[in-house]
This record gives sequence, structure tokens and C-alpha cells, in this order.
Amino acid sequence: MKNMKKMSAVILAASMAMMSLTGCGGSGDAAETTGTPAATEAAKTEAEAETGAAEAENEETEAQAAATDKTYKVAMCLSGAANDMGWCQVAYEGLKLLESEYGCEIAYTENLTPDDIEAAFADYASNGYDVVIGHGYEFGDPAMEVAEQYPDVKFIVTEGEVSADNVASYVSSCEEGGYIMGMLAAGMSETGKIGYVGPIQGASLVKIMNGFEDGAREVNPDIEVQTAWTGSFTDTALGKEAAQAMIDNGADVIGHCANEAGTGCINAAKEAGVYATGDSYDQNDLAPDTVLSSSVYHIPHVIELAFASVADGSFAGGIYNFGMKEDAVSVAPYHGLEEKIPEEVKSLIDERVAQIKSGEFKVPCDTQVR
Amino acid sequence: MLEQIFTMTFMTAFLAAAVRMAVPLAYAGMGELIAEKSGILNIGMEGVMLAGAFFSFAGAFFTGSILLGLVCGVVGGVAVSMIHAVLSIRLARDQSVSGISLNIFALGVTSFLYKLMSSGDSYKQIEPLSRLRIPALADIPLVGSALFEQDIMTYVLYFLVVGIAWFYAKTSMGLSFAAIGENPRAADAAGIPVHRYQYVAMVLNGVLGGIGGAYLVLVQVGNFTENMTSGRGYIALAAVILGRYMPGGILAASFLFGAANALQIRLQAVGVPLPPQALAMLPYVITLVALLTSIGKNQKPEALSRPYVRGAR
Repeated sequence: MKNMKKMSAVILAASMAMMSLTGCGGSGDAAETTGTPAATEAAKTEAEAETGAAEAENEETEAQAAATDKTYKVAMCLSGAANDMGWCQVAYEGLKLLESEYGCEIAYTENLTPDDIEAAFADYASNGYDVVIGHGYEFGDPAMEVAEQYPDVKFIVTEGEVSADNVASYVSSCEEGGYIMGMLAAGMSETGKIGYVGPIQGASLVKIMNGFEDGAREVNPDIEVQTAWTGSFTDTALGKEAAQAMIDNGADVIGHCANEAGTGCINAAKEAGVYATGDSYDQNDLAPDTVLSSSVYHIPHVIELAFASVADGSFAGGIYNFGMKEDAVSVAPYHGLEEKIPEEVKSLIDERVAQIKSGEFKVPCDTQVR
Repeated sequence: MLEQIFTMTFMTAFLAAAVRMAVPLAYAGMGELIAEKSGILNIGMEGVMLAGAFFSFAGAFFTGSILLGLVCGVVGGVAVSMIHAVLSIRLARDQSVSGISLNIFALGVTSFLYKLMSSGDSYKQIEPLSRLRIPALADIPLVGSALFEQDIMTYVLYFLVVGIAWFYAKTSMGLSFAAIGENPRAADAAGIPVHRYQYVAMVLNGVLGGIGGAYLVLVQVGNFTENMTSGRGYIALAAVILGRYMPGGILAASFLFGAANALQIRLQAVGVPLPPQALAMLPYVITLVALLTSIGKNQKPEALSRPYVRGAR
């Protein structure tokens, strides 16, 4: 019995040691192999499409990178799996883009929990990486901590709200997409009631919902915007119930920014024969007769822009917002529903998009829950 | 706002939503009841449901048939339950540890398999089961739509609840199945094959839990998403306790939880100025209050979560 205890203690200690090793050790190389060829392929084609728009400025930065002839070592830290078909995958695609377009040497760590982030950052910084990217606002505070000790390393945090000499946050102006979706929803509504479903009340999601409301009000000041939060990114059935509740209340266009749970909203709209708007990527193929348009966020492009500032030497600490003007946010085409949308709604939207792009119109970014 | 809530249309729609939200909980709750009555606590119900959800989706997607999808979901649920059964019956391991690991395991496996399945294109969808309106009865004001304008799985549930209640109350076989959870040693002495009955109970646990998960996919949303059960397996465990280990009670408890969830999302939509986080707590507050009020009344099977090893002291 005593031996048993001793042995289990040894095993426990050994396994803990192993865990801590894999936690901060050369996780980059180990993780490298997890990217499947298919995912890489998809990343590439996506990347190619994305870069099309910004080709001109890329060539410039590329030329400069070539001139200095420096191979940048770029590391990325992710909160989930690099092939999660969502939040982390788009960031990983951005990283692959840096490898293929800029010849960067890349490494990444997946599935980091908040307590591991600092160690992962410090690990990369001390191993000679020039740029360390943390994908998500939760990487902000650890970046600040580590950045102080490694002043030569540039830290980039997406959706962050921190800045220092060598720390910059890059935020997608998702509210611009929400605003346009709100305009579209209000323009299509016949009952004067529309609905919007959000997942968890985080600042980066609240601003989209508020943008939707503001956009809707611009088209129809008397419109009733019903809102609900599911409290979950994954509870598809509850997302559907939320949309169903709004449809029962008379809403005839349903918008969402609820990731997976949002697909439930689109399903509810489809079944009830009302319209919906998509979020994150072009969701028209989910329900071609239901999804009017989607607000699309180009995270790989944001990461590319962030890196480009390092490569051309213009990097400076701060918080940067990238929206439609920088091609970080766009509006998906109407696909088969093109004819169903009144001309005046379309021209109103086109005009607004053009104004947002030119900087003439600024969508208010309101992160307070209403 | 209040006049928006206290209308016939709101209440009718709300009750119908409550039933929709309750059905998966009730199926899983029935499965859990059968397991717990035989002395096996399956905390892994969340994992069983998630496996049921994924495999039913995969089955329905590849075969194009809802029925075959349901069969696949049941098989998936049973597979997860059987891991728990072998660990807790044959190997007499700690049932809480095994159950919790199963939940984490099922989340990983289903997410991974779904990714393999959906590699390349992003989204897959099946046509969910349509509702079956029972003519005259569905016209009853207020509750008609909630009770008689649902899908076939909901109607089956009503009969299932009655059947299980009758089984435990009126048949000697039912008594045997309950006895092994109360005092397995005495049951063994009376000639009841304890372990064999526990395996049977665990198969039923997997079948019903799998149906609970499959319901989400095949009836409610028509697609699978990672972690789509989102804690329903745990709520089902609470429903068993709140329902005092009685099939009818569990059905009522499931309805209560479903109603709380449907109400909170509907109150948000009509614009009740309460923070949604507070409303989202509602189901859990009910559970805690119910647990507090049931202090001193112990309906729990005596030998629950205690492995029975023949001949051991």
C-alpha cells in the first residue's frame, strides 16, 4: 500500500513535469505539424483572394522588405485550435500569409489558457522572434507584462485595448458591418420590427449590436429593434429560440453576431420565411433565400497590415482601428436576393459604404450595453 | 411592455417554446433516471447527449434519412454510456471522475470528427423533422399549440414517461431494477443479476441520452455545432434531483427548466430592462432553490454511485 502511494506520487510528479514542459517548451515546432495540408491550401486561396484588393501597397512593402533583406521571425499565440473554422483559423491564415508573401519564419502555439499566455510570449521573445502576435483581447495584459522585458520585440494584439512603445493593438471596426446590416434590415422590414441576437456581452460584440441599431434607425427612425443575448457562442438551439421569440413578436428581419449560435437564428428565419443577415463570413450559402447579406471581417488582412507596419519600419505603439477603409471589413454580395431588395435601399447602402470607405462618415463605436 | 407579455399570443408562443426547450432535457433526464435507479450516476450525460447530437447529424447527413440519423445518434450515445458502464461496473472506478472525463472526451471527439467531416466547405445542413399538428386538440387556447402542435418525438416522450413510471411502480422487473440501486447485495442474494441489469440500464441511458442530443439536431436546428448541448446534460442531472427520481416529476422539472430558458430569452426580446446575465441565471437559481427546499427528504437510491463488487466487504 505504501509503495503504491509512493509510486502514484512519482507518476503524478512526472506527469506534471511533462505538462509544464509542453506548456512552455518548443511548442512552436510541435504545433507546426498540426496544420493539415488542406487547411494550408484553403488558407492560401483565401489569402490570395484577400490580397487582391491591397496588392498595390503590398508590392511596395515587399520591395522594401527585399531591400533590407531581413527574414522576420513571427510567432502567433492562439486561444483555440488553428483549424477551428472560425476565430483562430482566420488568424492562422493570416500567419500563413506572412510566410508565403513576406517569407517570414513562422511559429505558433494553440489552445493557450490565460495563465499560459505570459510564458508563451516570453518564450518566443527570448528565442529571437521579432514579432509576437496575440490573437484576442485577453492577450493584451500579458503582452504588456512581457513587452517591458523585451523592448526589441514587437507585440501585436488583435482586438486588444493596450498600447506601449512596442505593443500595438489592432481592432477591426466590426460595427461598420453591423451598421450596414442594420440599414439593410430596416430597409427590408415591412412590419417595422427587426431583431438582433448577440452571444456574450463583450465590448467587441456590443459595438456590433449597437452599430446595427444605429444603422436601422438611420433608415427608419421609428423602427423597433428587439435584442437578446444567448450567453453562449455555441448554444444553437437557444439562438434559434431567441430569433423565434422575435419573429413571434412581429420581427421580419433577424440579424446576429452570435457565431455558431447565430446559425440557429438563420434557421429560425428560414423556417418562418423571413429574412436574416449574416456575420463574420458570407453566410448566404447557409440559406440562400433568407440571408440578404453578411458583414465580413478580414482578419488575415488585419494581421498582414499589422506586420507590414513592422516590415516598413513605421511600427509604433498604439491602438489602431481597421475598417472598411482598410479593407478589413466588407459587405457580402446579395447573391440571389438582389432583385428582392428595393433600389433605393441598395443605393442608400452603396452611398454609406462609399462614405465610410472615404472616411467621410464615421460609424459610432459604442461599447456600452444599451 | 407588460401588456406585451400578458397577451394570449405571447403566452401561447412562450409555452410552445418551453416544451421545445424541455424535450431534450426530459429524454436525457429519463435516461439518467434509469441509470441512477440502478445505482450508477452518469455525470457524463452531457457527453452522451453531445455524441447523440453529432452522430445523429452525421447519420442524417450521409444517409439523407432522419430515422437513420436517429439510429446513429442512439448508437453514438450508447457508445459513450458503455465506456462509463465498463469503467463503473466492471472496473468499479469512481463514477464522478469517469463521468467528467467522458464529457471532456466527447466534446473533443465530436468537435474533431465534425471538423474532419466538414473540411473544405464550411457548412452543412439537414432538413429538420417537421411538426405534426393534431387537429382538434391543437386548437385548445393557450396550451393547445404547446402540447399538440409539436413533432413526433415529443408525443413519443409522453408515452415514454407513462411507460417508465408504470414499469417501476407496477412490474416486478421494475422492482428488480430499482432494488439494485438501493441494496445491490440484497438484490444479488435474491438472485437478481446486478451487473447484468446495470449494463442494461446503461444501454437505456445511452439510448435516451442519445435521443436527447439527437433531438437538438434532428428536430430543433438541423445542423451540428461544436458543444451545441451547452450544459443541457448537467441540467438533465438537476432535473432528476428536482423531479425526485420520479418520471412524472422529471418531466415537470424539465418543463420548468425549459420554461425558464424560453422565458428569459423572450423577456430579452420584448425589451425587459433586466441584464441578460441575470435572466440567464434563472434556470440555475430554480435548481438551487429546489435543492434547498428538498433538504431532509431523501429520494436518492441508497447505493447510488457506489460500485458493487460481488463478495467484497
